[in-house]
Amino acid sequence: MNVTLTVNGTQRTITVESRRLLADVLRQEFNLSGVHIGCAHGACGCCTVHVDGAPKLSCLTFAGQCDGKSISTVEVLGGVEAEHPLQAAFRSEHGLQCGYCTPGFVMTLAPFVDDRVAEGRMPDDLEIREAMSGNICRCTGYHGIVAAVRKAIGDRLAKGTQA
Amino acid sequence: MSQKMDRPKHVGARIQRFEDTRFLSGTARYIDDIRPPNVLHLSFVRAQVAHGKILDIDTSGLEFLDFPVQFFTGADIGDLSIKAHQDFPEMQYSEQPLLARERVRFVGEPVVAVLADDSYQAEDAAEMVFVDYEPLPAVATMAQARDPEVPGLFDGWKTNVFIERQMKGGDIAKARAEAAHVFTRTYSTQRQAGVPMEGRGVVAEYNPSDRMLTVWSSTQIPHLLRTYLSEELGWPESRLRVIAPDVGGGFGVKGQVFVEEVLVPWLALKTGRPVKWIEDRREHLTASIHARDHQHTLEAYVSADGRLLGLKADISVDVGAYSTFPFTAAGDPGMAAKVMPGPYDFQHYEATFRALASNKCPIGTYRGVGRPSAVFAQERLMDDIAKELGLDPIEFRLKNIIREFPYKNALGFTYDPGSYAETLEKIQELVAQDRAAALASRGDPNKRIGVGLACFVEQTAHGTPDFTRRRVPIETGYIAARVEMTPDGQAIVEVGLQNHGQGHETVFAQVAADALGIAPQHVHVRHGDTLTTPYSVGTWGSRGGALGGGAVHMAAGKLADKLKAIAGHLLQADAKTIVLKDGLAHPEGEPGRHVAVAKLARAALRNVGELPQGMEPGLEAQVSLDGPADGTYANAVHAAVVEIDIHSGKLELKRFVVAEDCGTILNPLVVDGQVRGGVVQGIGSALFEHFIYDEDCQPLTTTFADYLMPLAPEIPDIELHHFETPTPLTPLGAKGLGEGGAIGPAAAIANAVADALQVEVQSTPLNANAVWRLSAHARGDLHDG
Repeated sequence: MNVTLTVNGTQRTITVESRRLLADVLRQEFNLSGVHIGCAHGACGCCTVHVDGAPKLSCLTFAGQCDGKSISTVEVLGGVEAEHPLQAAFRSEHGLQCGYCTPGFVMTLAPFVDDRVAEGRMPDDLEIREAMSGNICRCTGYHGIVAAVRKAIGDRLAKGTQA
Repeated sequence: MSQKMDRPKHVGARIQRFEDTRFLSGTARYIDDIRPPNVLHLSFVRAQVAHGKILDIDTSGLEFLDFPVQFFTGADIGDLSIKAHQDFPEMQYSEQPLLARERVRFVGEPVVAVLADDSYQAEDAAEMVFVDYEPLPAVATMAQARDPEVPGLFDGWKTNVFIERQMKGGDIAKARAEAAHVFTRTYSTQRQAGVPMEGRGVVAEYNPSDRMLTVWSSTQIPHLLRTYLSEELGWPESRLRVIAPDVGGGFGVKGQVFVEEVLVPWLALKTGRPVKWIEDRREHLTASIHARDHQHTLEAYVSADGRLLGLKADISVDVGAYSTFPFTAAGDPGMAAKVMPGPYDFQHYEATFRALASNKCPIGTYRGVGRPSAVFAQERLMDDIAKELGLDPIEFRLKNIIREFPYKNALGFTYDPGSYAETLEKIQELVAQDRAAALASRGDPNKRIGVGLACFVEQTAHGTPDFTRRRVPIETGYIAARVEMTPDGQAIVEVGLQNHGQGHETVFAQVAADALGIAPQHVHVRHGDTLTTPYSVGTWGSRGGALGGGAVHMAAGKLADKLKAIAGHLLQADAKTIVLKDGLAHPEGEPGRHVAVAKLARAALRNVGELPQGMEPGLEAQVSLDGPADGTYANAVHAAVVEIDIHSGKLELKRFVVAEDCGTILNPLVVDGQVRGGVVQGIGSALFEHFIYDEDCQPLTTTFADYLMPLAPEIPDIELHHFETPTPLTPLGAKGLGEGGAIGPAAAIANAVADALQVEVQSTPLNANAVWRLSAHARGDLHDG
């Protein structure tokens, strides 16, 4: 089947089998190595990307279901230097170790951070932890990821207050 | 052992990791990102019965496919296998063929290898192959494995015991005779595994132009894999290159040589094309390696005044169907037997330990190796003894804890200095209020609070004699580092380790930077590639910081000595007075009289006419650092506070506190991360993670919906308190760190549950079912649900 996808801002029409997973198509056709497959059954969140702005598991989505949609992956979030404030907070708060689950966490949590900043409030730890409950990290014990989210929201709220 | 550093500036600093950017930006390269052109994708037909004779392999369905396919079976691979034997007469011999021959021994064992141009097609083709088995009775329990009436899993076997041996020290009969109290208890820890978020994977490619066979594998042990491949395939090791690219978590799981890692390069040679295999999650959960599955019966001899006199241990581990390379079937039971004496002062010990075969996934190394199970048994026993004698469990430990160092334990292992009593006293102070709350909750009709401790020592970074004693097919544990300076004054560090989350690229840059007087940002650390790194055993056994860091420090020190000699010559000063700092070399106390390190490097490598008379050009050094004979002993105390709803069995982990001592801290950011990550894996061991098999050894936990790992909402903030007792046994004073976090939680949480419910807890996991059953007494409902 022919599918037209706008991936990280560039529109392209490709021919794929209807059974091809979005995760595989992003990795193989679009060379996006930041899309990681951790379980391929929708339980670990490693493969999370944004489809029309919302986090979605690309291992439970067929590429064919995304015709006409806009997809973004971790590659577009902060560029090769990973300069998005949430990425910077992952660095400063040691929110990653082996890095395999990291793109999935970042893509899950970036909209969460945006939403809380828009509301102008700092969520408590349990709310932050619930927000990442669909993602598994086996290295960090989550501590650094929770701290990174808190820092990313806190920094932007502080900036907003000054402005 | 070696000179201490002049002025540590970067070591000990909380520096953000240099490697993070590639992981955050999606530019890291893991095994599935290795994509050679013209590659064949491999998919396996794996055993669906746990134990059976292969009657027929029907591949006729492959003829109907409209794409090209190749397949290989056990008949094609000759006698290629994984051989993991210990040279003891008590060890029964076994091998795991790369593809099953005649017989399968666990669900998930590879039977047929199917190759196609596309990974989806390879899976389609594998589904077209039918294997007919004559089912054989499965060996499913420890009792069955020890039953001489049950036929052996391998030809010539008498019972299904891989090996049974003893370790002893002192005089256990004397301890027994002198004891006022004897306590006997049995404790068990369930089958679980490390489960990295990236599974395993192997890619192999043969290049006829330079006759190089290159193997990419998601492994922690690239050099060990290279040697195994060379020996098994009969391929010259100088023409073999093993690359571990970015590895998405290991935890010991990727510290074995697996059948797939040997088969994929063999297939690449056989087919003349690159071959790639990426494990899926079901394969990982059923057929990589599992861990733990221990049962320990302990007998403790205690004096009238509450002193431990001796300990007798009987240790059984269900190690599954095959012995794993290089630590063998005896790895886990042997480690449990060795570490059981723990942090307590007694001199009479005897352990019998055995590795039992079953028709389950083989057991291999996972963070802690034997120690989490041993500490669970030992620390549960300490609480059970204290309770029966009416002693405070912390006071009972303080009475028996080792306080004088070096200490030679009952087995003759020497413990270097640590902070055993200090960490315990610190925890005592930190949980005092929680203990009061626990006491107050005893009569509560709904919720009970409990506080539990685990106190342990951890042998880390052990050296060659420890492996010689074990007669495992790995003879040593050294790590090598090569440090080179480039003419611009920057440095390259190449270590024989593999960095899969431990922060090597940052920490070793800190170590080298201090020695060379340059910025850590100007040190490029490389690892994981046998072509560029010196031969070493790889990343396992908590030796990266202690030995890898030590080797980098020593090699960089040699380089620094040469830089100082050149600087002395150029500045007309005594080389012994030269200080390297902030990219400059100057005589001590004369910072104005300086020369740039970059200029010294340029002199050594290009402007060699500026070198002192007779000095050899070049600027590189290599050091191999073996571990101390008995290792260096890290220590920690973990404490858990739980709240239990006695009506539902719901357990809430309210607090988890760690007081630990890993010697010199090289980077606190990394240390905190390693400890917390380990603790949360240990919490998984205590509460959730369990590989379940039915009586036919069919695995029932084959997805993340069945094998439950800790998620963020269940985990409290892990509180850390560091003690720093540098060891004299490693160059930087660092002890091993990576595994400790995972060792204590099962014991601490089980002790907290025992405290809350006032019952003896004999096994993990403490899931809601188990806790509900244990709450029967508290509910006043003595019927066991």
